[in-house]
Amino acid sequence: MLKRLLLVRGTEFLLFALLAAIPLAVQSPYALGLLTLLAIYGILLIGLDVTVGYLGQVNLAQAAFLGIGAYTAGILTTRWGVGLPMAVLAAGAVCTVLGALLALPSLRLEGPQFALATLSFLALTTTVLTEVEWLTAGSQGLSVDRPPLFGVALTPRLFFWLCLLVLAVVWMAMRNLLSGQWGRAFEALRDSPIATDAMGVGTYRHKVAAFAFGSGLGGVAGALYAYNFQYLQPQSYVYELTVVLLLGVVLGGRKSLWGAFVGATLVALLPNLLSNLLLFRAFAAVGFAMALFAGVRGLRRRAAGRFQALAPVVATGALVLGSFLEKNTEDWRKAIFALMLFSVVVGLPEGLMGFAAGALARLFRVAPPPLPPAAALDAVLPPRATRGEPLLEVRALHRHFGGVRAVDGVDLTVTAGTIHGLIGPNGSGKSTLVNVVSGLYTPTSGELLLRGAPLPRGSLFKAARAGVARTFQNLQLFTGMTTLENVMVALRGAYRLPLPLVLAGLGRGEERRAQAEALALLELVGLDGEARTPVKDLTYGAQRFLEMARALARKPELLILDEPAAGLAHPDVVRQVEVIRSIHARGVTIVLIEHHMDVVTSLCDVVTVLDGGRVIAEGKPGDVKRHPKVIAAYLGTTADEAGPAEGAPAAG
Amino acid sequence: MLIVKELHAGYGLSEVLVGTSLAVKRGTVVALIGANGAGKTTTMRAISGLITPTRGEVVLDGQAVTGLEAAAVARLGLAHSPEGRKVFAPLSAEDNLLLGAFPWLPRFFGFRKKAAGDLARVYDLFPRLAERRHQLAGTLSGGEQQMLAIGRALMARPKVMLLDEPSMGLAPVIVQEVFRTIRRLKAEGMTMLLVEQFARAALEVADHAYVMERGRIVVEGTPAELSRDERVLAAYLG
Amino acid sequence: MPFSIVAQIAVSGALMGLVYALVAYGFQLTFATSKSINFGQGELVMVSAFASLTLINLGTRLFPGVSLGLLYLAVVPLGLLFGALLGLVVERTAVRLALEQKSEGWILLSIIVGLFLFSAAENVWGRDDRPFPTPIPDASFHLLGVDVTWREVSVLVGVLAIMGIIETFKRTTLLGKAFEAVSADRDAGELMGISATRTVMLSYGLSGMVAALAGILVSPITTVGPTMASAMILKAFSVAVVAGLESGFGVVLVGVGLGALEGLASLYIGSGWREAPGLVLLILALAVRPTGLFGKAVIRKV
Repeated sequence: MLKRLLLVRGTEFLLFALLAAIPLAVQSPYALGLLTLLAIYGILLIGLDVTVGYLGQVNLAQAAFLGIGAYTAGILTTRWGVGLPMAVLAAGAVCTVLGALLALPSLRLEGPQFALATLSFLALTTTVLTEVEWLTAGSQGLSVDRPPLFGVALTPRLFFWLCLLVLAVVWMAMRNLLSGQWGRAFEALRDSPIATDAMGVGTYRHKVAAFAFGSGLGGVAGALYAYNFQYLQPQSYVYELTVVLLLGVVLGGRKSLWGAFVGATLVALLPNLLSNLLLFRAFAAVGFAMALFAGVRGLRRRAAGRFQALAPVVATGALVLGSFLEKNTEDWRKAIFALMLFSVVVGLPEGLMGFAAGALARLFRVAPPPLPPAAALDAVLPPRATRGEPLLEVRALHRHFGGVRAVDGVDLTVTAGTIHGLIGPNGSGKSTLVNVVSGLYTPTSGELLLRGAPLPRGSLFKAARAGVARTFQNLQLFTGMTTLENVMVALRGAYRLPLPLVLAGLGRGEERRAQAEALALLELVGLDGEARTPVKDLTYGAQRFLEMARALARKPELLILDEPAAGLAHPDVVRQVEVIRSIHARGVTIVLIEHHMDVVTSLCDVVTVLDGGRVIAEGKPGDVKRHPKVIAAYLGTTADEAGPAEGAPAAG
Repeated sequence: MLIVKELHAGYGLSEVLVGTSLAVKRGTVVALIGANGAGKTTTMRAISGLITPTRGEVVLDGQAVTGLEAAAVARLGLAHSPEGRKVFAPLSAEDNLLLGAFPWLPRFFGFRKKAAGDLARVYDLFPRLAERRHQLAGTLSGGEQQMLAIGRALMARPKVMLLDEPSMGLAPVIVQEVFRTIRRLKAEGMTMLLVEQFARAALEVADHAYVMERGRIVVEGTPAELSRDERVLAAYLG
Repeated sequence: MPFSIVAQIAVSGALMGLVYALVAYGFQLTFATSKSINFGQGELVMVSAFASLTLINLGTRLFPGVSLGLLYLAVVPLGLLFGALLGLVVERTAVRLALEQKSEGWILLSIIVGLFLFSAAENVWGRDDRPFPTPIPDASFHLLGVDVTWREVSVLVGVLAIMGIIETFKRTTLLGKAFEAVSADRDAGELMGISATRTVMLSYGLSGMVAALAGILVSPITTVGPTMASAMILKAFSVAVVAGLESGFGVVLVGVGLGALEGLASLYIGSGWREAPGLVLLILALAVRPTGLFGKAVIRKV
């Protein structure tokens, strides 16, 4: 525990102490300028890393937020004499709001649309800053005075300390945020946005909030940037800067505060690097050596394909060659950035710090803090009394895909407190039906009621919030996390602390309570021994059980199990039947899709049989098994004996 | 004609196939049955190259095709009609069929003329498709899409045909028609590997059958032998 | 403002809008096969234009007797070929690896490749804008009260011709149908013996060719320079997003509309605001209809 604290916090403290001490030893204003810029870029890149690293989206707007923040602070100070703290906060606030407004439309889709929207925003920002001359002085540029702070004039040295302080605060707040539920949510939504929504976490709102937050940091950095340079021009915040910032984040290492810091160092030093030919040659040679080493190693271990191993060698080789052939590196600036970025993105996708972190983790093994004892199951999942009332009602439900009527008029009532089986041949519409109920698909027509109230349609997130939890036939676990974290992501009602307090680092008590609750659920499915195991190291069977524990963390009224026994070995199936029974005993209503007829027979109170998107039979398992249509459509006889069924969909 | 030896394959970290071996002789129909999740579809996908096996070997007509990309395997004479049919929804039924013959048709012009004979044969097999040849495949009914998927595989003039769950999600009448077609193709001498949930129907057309459980073959034999096997009887023939 | 001037500006803008539509069409081609687009497409437009310019200059020096018209006719196919090659380079360096890893790394990588091409062009050809010699006269003629130049007509003809040719190729040849098959279902295409990798290469080649044509068509009107496509590419992005990444007809319609709109914006608000309508439209389109006006809804699967 102490070792961990010393290593992790101690290194951070050392870093900041060292940085703060440099101006006491070194008097050069040039070095001080570089350090100040380093602190500012640090804040900016931590903000950019939120989208690029944690959300995994290419964000081209961070240079725009730097500009907007700078102009906001600059205009507030020069025109209205607003003080420094207020102006910095205002810059952050303006960018947070604009970030949210940009994110709201553009984060709805995955893919290139987000990158395009941020690129457009960047171009639009440059246009507005240039054209709204009455406010920004246009391309002439805006001079900004550095206002005093609480009556004290800010010397360059004091200003550097101020910037460093802001960086330290941002750093700590980010760490507190990421070590709790927010960090898990970010991780989760990259692994499986569908499961994140289905666990009631809300992929979309987390993305928007994260982007807005990162943009706000960009604004804060911008304000400090304005007071640092004291002269603003719209042309400073363009495409090229955005690319350089991306280079910083990617080279430093995504999803890492240290990575952002290393990246910021690089971005701050880059202009000097290019102006000194000798330095640049040395840098290129080091890069070439690294690419060669990594490439050969990757090829020998078969970890990398030929292209992945050789392309960075070629790119850095070109850099070395160019550094000796061409004297004028400044002219080739963009090509140099491009070659550097290319080598890193292809050859070292986890960045310098990602690379270093792996090596460090092997050097220093630090035991994680011990887990709290599991909470009482009765406290986590209180027994629910049910009186046999209808819980879920499905009326005349249709869901069509093009010409295929996957669900073609289904009526179904699930009684509270029962285990309701759903069987039918492959493609009979079972999965589509539960996908509609759980909100993945919007119904084409029909009605869905939960406890008599309409169930939200077409939103996994809202359906989850309404009390529906589900597992997935094709496992949708958060593979980048441990078993315990998977359950903690989904835990309902465990995180109530307001965001500012979380940022201030007061979320630890809540975290431990959540861990205790999650452990109780893992105990229920028999995975408490694997709490710290990364999900990707779990056996297939254990992953199926984890899906159930995670769904239970929603404390649901209705639990949908989508083929939980698929691909399980026989002993696991037996154990699963027991687990489902014990969940049922706590008053959770269960809808069970299953192919193993013995599982269905031993567990279910009622079974509904689907075929061709319609209900062909419903009743007690024993009765349903003898139903002639069920035998024909599902349990299997030869097709010739079956005869035409009434439920056959009309052709065409 | 098709030999699969000790095949291991899976998705990401989970290995679904753990040493599957089977053989399909020229001109025979072989059925592969088993519960959901046993690995039948994964076997099909590993044979046709849609997923790369981690270990093992696939031999098609004396030629090793293990690890080749699916397009290359298809050009060597393997036609795979996938689970869920996977017709090209935005293209017409006839275009779907023409693309089935992609490996041997000219790329630019004159392909219609060259494919006319094969097209006529498919339309003769499925008169319904002839009626709907200009309709977009996505707007066809499930049964018609299944016929189209089989027809598309036939157009390749394959040495071996893989049929994955041709009865999936279809009404019993349509299923009967599908099986009639399979019998007719068998009579014409087509070599087929059939994955089917209707174990009984599948055993009726098959010359040989394999039962899969958890990624490996557990029982094999002629349909008659399997119908006498207690375990198979209990688990799959109800 | 007299109506004739407004109409004049709208029509000229609309004709320029066709160039945006053409570049956006290039995005559609690659998006169809690989769900990826080249963020450095503007550099392909620019470098191809420079290369064509160099070829024309070379031609006039080597064959002084040959008329400009003949030379132009010889250079255009070479320029298109050059663009196609560049498209293949982008596919190999920026796209293939990311597609194999099923990541969105191609966004960043194609930006990087574009940045490199930009810098290379700056150093090889210089930073100045240069005129592009063309046999098409600068003269204009009067049509329904609006002046139209012959060069604008060449844009109209060129854009519609190449889109027509490619669409005909897609609809009538087997390879074209294979192209659509792969966009509909990559796995099923593979099972028919259609190599997805080669189809993606083909789409990037075609896309590069289309970009080269855009460069050759627009150069005589705007001049050739490293930054000639930086503004154009943003508008092409807007057109692609607003129209959706599926419909060729849609990009033409939206491109023409956007071109007219930005002509009017620079007339009424000020020339500095010329770029604004496209950018605002893009963000609005994402808010109102994220799959574009002519796009189809996506179905999520589990």
